[in-house]
Amino acid sequence: MSEAAPAPSGATRVWPRRARRGLRVLQAAGPALLLVAVALWEIVAAARAPLRAPAEEDWRALSAALRERHRPGELIVFAPGWIDPVGRQHLGDLIPLEMAARMDAARFPVVWEVALGDAEAPERAGARLTWSAEHGPLVLRRFERDPARVVTDFVAAFSRARRGGAPGAARVSLEEVGFEPHRCVKVVPPPDRTVTITYPGVELGRELVGYVGLADVFTRRDVREPGRLTISIDGREVAAVTAGVDDGWVRFAVPTEPRAGAEVVFSATAVGPGARDRRICFAAEARR
Amino acid sequence: MIRLRLGPVARRRLTAAALALTALVSVLAAQREVGVARDEAVYIHHGTRYARWWLDLVTFEDGTASAERITATFGGAAPTDGNREHPPLMKTLLGMSRVLFHEELGWTSELTASRLPTAAMNALTVALVFLFGAAVWGYGAGLIAALLVLLLPRAFFHAGLATFDAPVVTLWLATLYSYHRALASRRWCIALAVAFGLALATKHNALMLPGVILPHYAWLAWRRSRPDQRAPLGRRLFDFLRALGRVRPLALAALAAGPLVLVAIWPWLWFDTIDHLRDWIAFHMHHVHYNFEYLGENYNHPPFPWHVVFVTTLFTVPTATLAAALVGGVALAGRARRGAARDAARAPALLIALSAAVSMGVFLLPSTPIFGAEKHWAPAIPTFCLLAGVGVVAASERLLRNLVAWGWIPAGPARFARAGTIAAIGGLVATAALTETAAAQPHALTHYTALAGGAPGGADLGMNRQFWGIAARGVLPVVNQLAPAPGEPPVPVYTHDAQPAWGLYRRAGLLRPGLPDAGRETAGIARSQIALVIHEKHFNRHDYLIWNSYGTVQPYHVLTVDGVPIVSVYVRPELLERRAARQR
Repeated sequence: MSEAAPAPSGATRVWPRRARRGLRVLQAAGPALLLVAVALWEIVAAARAPLRAPAEEDWRALSAALRERHRPGELIVFAPGWIDPVGRQHLGDLIPLEMAARMDAARFPVVWEVALGDAEAPERAGARLTWSAEHGPLVLRRFERDPARVVTDFVAAFSRARRGGAPGAARVSLEEVGFEPHRCVKVVPPPDRTVTITYPGVELGRELVGYVGLADVFTRRDVREPGRLTISIDGREVAAVTAGVDDGWVRFAVPTEPRAGAEVVFSATAVGPGARDRRICFAAEARR
Repeated sequence: MIRLRLGPVARRRLTAAALALTALVSVLAAQREVGVARDEAVYIHHGTRYARWWLDLVTFEDGTASAERITATFGGAAPTDGNREHPPLMKTLLGMSRVLFHEELGWTSELTASRLPTAAMNALTVALVFLFGAAVWGYGAGLIAALLVLLLPRAFFHAGLATFDAPVVTLWLATLYSYHRALASRRWCIALAVAFGLALATKHNALMLPGVILPHYAWLAWRRSRPDQRAPLGRRLFDFLRALGRVRPLALAALAAGPLVLVAIWPWLWFDTIDHLRDWIAFHMHHVHYNFEYLGENYNHPPFPWHVVFVTTLFTVPTATLAAALVGGVALAGRARRGAARDAARAPALLIALSAAVSMGVFLLPSTPIFGAEKHWAPAIPTFCLLAGVGVVAASERLLRNLVAWGWIPAGPARFARAGTIAAIGGLVATAALTETAAAQPHALTHYTALAGGAPGGADLGMNRQFWGIAARGVLPVVNQLAPAPGEPPVPVYTHDAQPAWGLYRRAGLLRPGLPDAGRETAGIARSQIALVIHEKHFNRHDYLIWNSYGTVQPYHVLTVDGVPIVSVYVRPELLERRAARQR
C-alpha cells in the first residue's frame, strides 16, 4: 500500500479528533436526546392515531356510492375484519343472513371490498379489480370472478337427509365456528360415537367442497377432544377431516364424477370418551 | 416579604401530599365517565354487606360475631358465596365509603363513593413512589417517577374502579417501602407487618411478596458476610447464616406476622381458618381460564405465550416512560458496577428489580391460569416509573456534566441548568405520558400506546379489545332514546356483559325507566327488543345469536374508539317500525 498517495497531513490529524469529539458529544448527549426524541415522537403519534379513523361522512359517502352500484347477491366484505360491525351498521341491510354466514365466497361472482387503508379481505383473492373509489381513509373496490356453480348445497338440502348411527342432535343452524359465523349442519354425537347424515339422490359435479369445525368457544375451551367428519360417496369413503379445538373452519375438497342419484354420507364422530357436547358443524357443496 | 423556608423533609412531605391530592382529584374526575365493570358491581354489593356487618359489630348488635352471621355475610358453602374467593379489605372500605358518603352524607353518587377508596389508594401509590424515589435517588427522580406512575393510561383507569388492582399495587409498594425503611429503623417493622397484612387482605398477588423480600434479605446477608472465595464452603455458609441474624431479623418476623392482620380483618377466617385459607388459595390456583385475545389468537387454554407480559407492557405503558426506564436501568447498573450505588447497604435498586421480576415472572409460567390483562402484574409498574425517574435525571446530569467539562457552559450556573434540564426532559417525558393517558380515557382498555398505533393499531395487532363489559356505559344514551313512552310496555334489553351493572346504571339515573334487563343468553335475546354486544373476539357468538333472533345483521348503533368498534346495539326491526309509526 506504499504506492497510495498519503492523505494531507492536516486532514489525518483533524478528522479523527473531530470524530472523537463528535462521538464524545453523542455519548454525553445520547441518552438525553433519546428521551427528547422518543417523547416528542410519542406526543405527535398519540395525537395523530385517531386521525386514521374514518369520519361518519366517509362512511355515508361510501355507503351511497356502493348502493348506487350494488346488485342483490353481490358479496360485501370488510377489511380489516375488526371494522365489520361498523360496516354492517352502514351496509347491513344489503347483507342477508345467509351471505354473512356463508360457507365461503366462491359462489359470489362480485365481491365488494370496503377497506380501511391498504387492508385486504381474503375473499377477494383471485378476483379481478373492476372499479374502486376512495372516501377518506376508506376504499371501496369492486372485484369480479368466475363463480363456483353449485349443483347441490348440502346445508340447504338437509331437510331431505336421513339421520342415523348413534343418537344425537342434528339440525341446521347459524353457529360460531373459529369466531366466524357459519350456517351449517350441527351434529352433536355422544362421546366416542358417530352420527351419520345420509343424502340420497344427490347430484354431483366435478368437485365436492366442504368445511368442518367445532362450534361454541366455551365448549371448545372446556372439552379439548376433536371432532371428525368422514365423507362417503356410494359407500366409498372419499375424505376424512379432523377438526381440533383451535383449527377453526377446516376446508376439504374431493374430485367427483358429475352425475345424479349418488348417495352421500357425512359421518360425524366425537373423538374420545371425553368428547362430550362436541358440536360438529359442517357445510358442503357439490360444484360443477 | 415573608419567605417560607422548608427543610428537605417538610418539602418532601408537602410534595407528596400535593401529588396525592392531584392524583385523587384527577382520578375521581375521570371515573365519572367510566362504565361499571362486571366485578365492580359484585364487589359493591358484597362490600356494602361487609360494611354493615362491621357497623353492627362496633355497635354491639347481638349475634353479629356468630359463625352463622359471619357465614351469611362473608362466606357460604359454594366457592364464590359471599364473594369469599377474594379477601375483604377493599370491599369493606368501598362499602363503608358508600354508606358514609352516599347514603348518610349524600355528598357523592353511589358509584363515586364506592370508587373513592381505590382512588385514595392510587393517590397513596403516587405519594409512596415519590417518597421512595426522592429518599433514594433524589427529589427530581422521585418527582418524575411519581408523575409517570400517575400518568399510566391503564393504571389511571383502574384507579377509578371499585376493584382491587390499584390498591394491591399501593399495598405491595407500601410493604416494600416499609421493609426498606425497616432495614434502617426497627420502628418500621410494625408498618411492614401491617402493610403486608393489608396487602394480603386486598388481593392474592400479595402472597408473592415474600418472593421479593426474602431473596433481597438473603442478598444483603450474603454481602454482609463478605464471603472469601478461598474459605471452605462450610465456613462461608456459617458466616452467611450469622449474617442473616445481623441484617434485620425483626423484619422477617414482621413479614411472618402479616397474615395475622389478614385474619384480624377477615371474619371468614375467624373459624375453620386453615380450611378457609386453603379454599381461597385453591380457587386462584385452579382458576377458570379466561378468554383473552393476544396477537390475533383467542387464548382460553394453557399455555399462554410467555411473551404476553412483555408485549402487553410494551404496548400499554407510554413509550417515553419505558425509554426513560431503560436509561435509568443502564445508569443504575453502571453505578452498581462502579460501586457507586445509592444506599448500597439496603440495595433499593435490587429491591425494585425483584419486585418487577416476581410480579411479572409468575405470568411466564405455563401453569399460571390465563387472566390476560396487564392489571394482573401492575405491581411491577412502579419499578419502571422509578427507573424512569432515575433515567431522566441521569441523562440530564450526564449532558450537563460534559457541557461544563467542555466549557460550553460555565460551571457557575450549572446548578440552575441542572434543575432546568431535568425539568425540561422530565416534562417532555411526562407530557408524552399525559398525552397517552388523556387519549385513553374513558375506554382505556381499548387504548394501546403510539408504539402499537393507538386503538386502531391494537386492533390491527389483534390485542384484546376490553373486558368486563365496562364500555356499555357509552351506549346508554342511545338505549335511552329507545325507551318506551309513558303508558307503553317495557322494552327489555339484552345487556350481555353489562348485566351485573344494569341495576347500578338504573340507580345512578343513567337509564330511563322501562328498559329492564331481558335475561341471559338465548332466552334473554329472545325476550329482548334491544340487544348489546360488547366486542371481544370470543363474544362474536353473541352477534350471531342476535342475528338469528332479530333476523338482521345490521346494528342500530356502534360505539367506537378511534374507529375501533367496542359495543354494538341491535334493535328488533318491529320496535323500529313501531317507533317510526309513532313518529308519523
